[in-house]
Amino acid sequence: MAALGVHEIRALFAQEAEVRLTHLDQLLLELEQTGDEETLVRSVFRELHTLKGSSAVAGLTDVSRLAHELEEIVEDLRAGRQTVTPEVIDTLLAGADRLGTVIASALGDDVTADVLDTDSATAAEAPVAVGVVAAPRDVVPAHNGLTARAPDPSSSDAHGVVMVPMERLDEMVRLIGESASAHLRVGRMLKDSFGLDAASNAEFNELSRSLNGLQDRAMRARMVPLATVTDKLQRAVRDLSRAQGKQVRWEVRGGDTELDRGVLTQLSDSLLHLVRNAVDHGIKPAAERTAAGKPAEGNVRLHAMQLGSEVIIAITDDGDGIDLARVREQAARQGVGTQDMSDEDALQLVFHSGLSTSTFVTDVSGRGVGLDVVRTNVEAARGRVEVRSRPGAGTEFRIIVPITLAVLRCLLVESAGQRFALPFHRVVLSQGFDQSSQTRAEGRAMVWVDDQAVPVSSMADAVGLGSTQPSRGPIVVLTDAVRRHAFQVDQLVGQRDVVLKALNRLLPPLPAVAGASVEPDGSILVVLDPPGLIQRARQAQRGDPLAVAAPSGGTPQRSILVVDDALTVRELQRNILERAGFGVRVATDGADALSKLAEEPSDLILTDIEMPNMDGFALTEAVRAHPSLANIPVLILSSRSSEADRRRGLDAGADGYIIKSGFDEGSLLTAVRRLIGGRT
Amino acid sequence: MTGEQAVLLPVGADMYAVPVGWVREVVAAPPLTPLVTAPPLVLGLFNLRGQIVPLLDTAHLLGLNGSDPVAFAVVLQSPRGLVGLAATAFPQRATLGVSTGPSELPGTAGTYRVQRQIVVLLDPDALLASERLGAASSREDTTPSGVA
Repeated sequence: MAALGVHEIRALFAQEAEVRLTHLDQLLLELEQTGDEETLVRSVFRELHTLKGSSAVAGLTDVSRLAHELEEIVEDLRAGRQTVTPEVIDTLLAGADRLGTVIASALGDDVTADVLDTDSATAAEAPVAVGVVAAPRDVVPAHNGLTARAPDPSSSDAHGVVMVPMERLDEMVRLIGESASAHLRVGRMLKDSFGLDAASNAEFNELSRSLNGLQDRAMRARMVPLATVTDKLQRAVRDLSRAQGKQVRWEVRGGDTELDRGVLTQLSDSLLHLVRNAVDHGIKPAAERTAAGKPAEGNVRLHAMQLGSEVIIAITDDGDGIDLARVREQAARQGVGTQDMSDEDALQLVFHSGLSTSTFVTDVSGRGVGLDVVRTNVEAARGRVEVRSRPGAGTEFRIIVPITLAVLRCLLVESAGQRFALPFHRVVLSQGFDQSSQTRAEGRAMVWVDDQAVPVSSMADAVGLGSTQPSRGPIVVLTDAVRRHAFQVDQLVGQRDVVLKALNRLLPPLPAVAGASVEPDGSILVVLDPPGLIQRARQAQRGDPLAVAAPSGGTPQRSILVVDDALTVRELQRNILERAGFGVRVATDGADALSKLAEEPSDLILTDIEMPNMDGFALTEAVRAHPSLANIPVLILSSRSSEADRRRGLDAGADGYIIKSGFDEGSLLTAVRRLIGGRT
Repeated sequence: MTGEQAVLLPVGADMYAVPVGWVREVVAAPPLTPLVTAPPLVLGLFNLRGQIVPLLDTAHLLGLNGSDPVAFAVVLQSPRGLVGLAATAFPQRATLGVSTGPSELPGTAGTYRVQRQIVVLLDPDALLASERLGAASSREDTTPSGVA
């Protein structure tokens, strides 16, 4: 998803790894000479630790795992549990050599490795080929070309499975789409130029049929069954329930339900989070359950099914349900009035960023993901998430996503004579115009929707097509992550599956426009992006002509200082943050960061812990102790996941702590925006 | 520069020229779909055999007034995709004659003589620079999956 492609990230990693491995060799040899020299041991540890983090970011799980094993050995040296002996140095040097070999084969064989990319967390478990069963976590997968183990020829031959890089499939789907639209144009041309009705021509229809079939098969080639991720979920349920001394039965139905691999990859962390949440918060220990008259063994169930062009994945537990009174109480503390909300509406507030987490950006499961991030991730896959809960009976989360991202289901509307497409997953409802439902508040027009007053704008106004006379056209209610906004249009035209194309990159960013699509008749359909549209409409209603004139938003750019000694991590973070509209400066360690801040302060500091010269804890303390820098929020991003480290970071004065293993674009941006704001 | 092959781009009473290497093709008044919320210099989008191409107001891009109706679109192949420049009469191909001096407008690269006419040579790299179009330098490809 990151615009910095996997190739660029790996190229950066290759550069970094070469330097670090050479340095590591030198340090190890030096260490053998000098014996237990503390600063040397620390340097060795830091090199390995950084390699581990960078390789995980580059999606090279085997490299990361190997670096972690070596790091453990050095940790023993550091803690004094082991002394430096030639044997230990042998092991470490051999390990460094293996690291070099594994990195070289992984990077040299990038095409093979590509199959495993896009999500480092699920890389090894989600092969694209249907029918290849996910490898158990502790067995090194044989199909990724990273290990010396030869693939078992009999197993792949038996199923006749070929591994194909995702991008080749994408390219194929794209080309088929282009052929289909060229075919339609030929049909039009025959009619316009020669007066021939193509639809009555058998050859022409034959070609239509085979193109449709081809398109269908190509789409299907990208599909994988949900079962490719359920093993990982089962493992999480087992581990967590054992750790917490609970009895939990795990049940999967509809594991053979297929969906686009891209969609599934985007969802896998959210599913993991919901499942862990169910065990952690939903299911109570056996004794408490028995006392409440429930079976001692709790039940967590995943049920998937396809419904039309959507897949519904429900995660249900038979625990205590969500404490609605507490949700309302927390909402009230955030200044959200819930008196007029139905229980069902109030329940949806758990996805609100302010409510799903406490003051610190952390969570019990240690993955740095809250329910608001689950929703963000699901929405990024153009889906939606709902929750139902009954006190004492249990909770059900439902994720509803389109089967594929290749087409976008849209509602077509007409406004001021132009047709627009609105992505369906952002449409709450559409209804006819009713004079009696109109009202006003704070100088804004409002409309009653399901007993809730929602601001309403004319679509024509919102997109700048000039004011129209009050009309009696229908109302479409759209939603972004948080708000609802109603738009009055001239008419509803229908539903359509749209192949969305990005606009030319020469154009300035247009937040209210998602892209465009070519209609079968050759005309162009503009697809609006509801969050950007809502933002525009709200600014216009506030009578803020400046903001409307400058669609990119008139707010000053917020600046972030990224501090990390690993080039790969630094550049990845810079890339993510810059794309989200932040200004980014980088520093290579704590001392460098302080001198950059002396030149010019930043609005936020995002720092690693393990760094040469001055580590992240020391940096945080130094910032807090400095009179002019003391108020800058500090967010720590580290691969140290222990509670003690987190505690220490927060004690040093950090405002948040994200763990690198759970690090992804969505959770990083959510954490950053929670601290310094930014567009939604 | 003299002797360079160019496509002449009539805009109102003035004549501009684009180096021929930039020009992919010329299209007669394509049907335009307005791109809502875009700055006024974006006249709209048109369909070039399945590709969605923005049409830019050449006068506006040069910082001039004038909104004569678009008669032709000169489609340029820029590193960031196809883009159309509006012309108000048929764009002909010509060889640039002697240089007649520098030019003042942003995004241009001098004036040349073509028969009895003064032609202002456009520098598409400078003319289509992000700052002139109001694009943020960090803008990246918006893939469909980037839709929130």
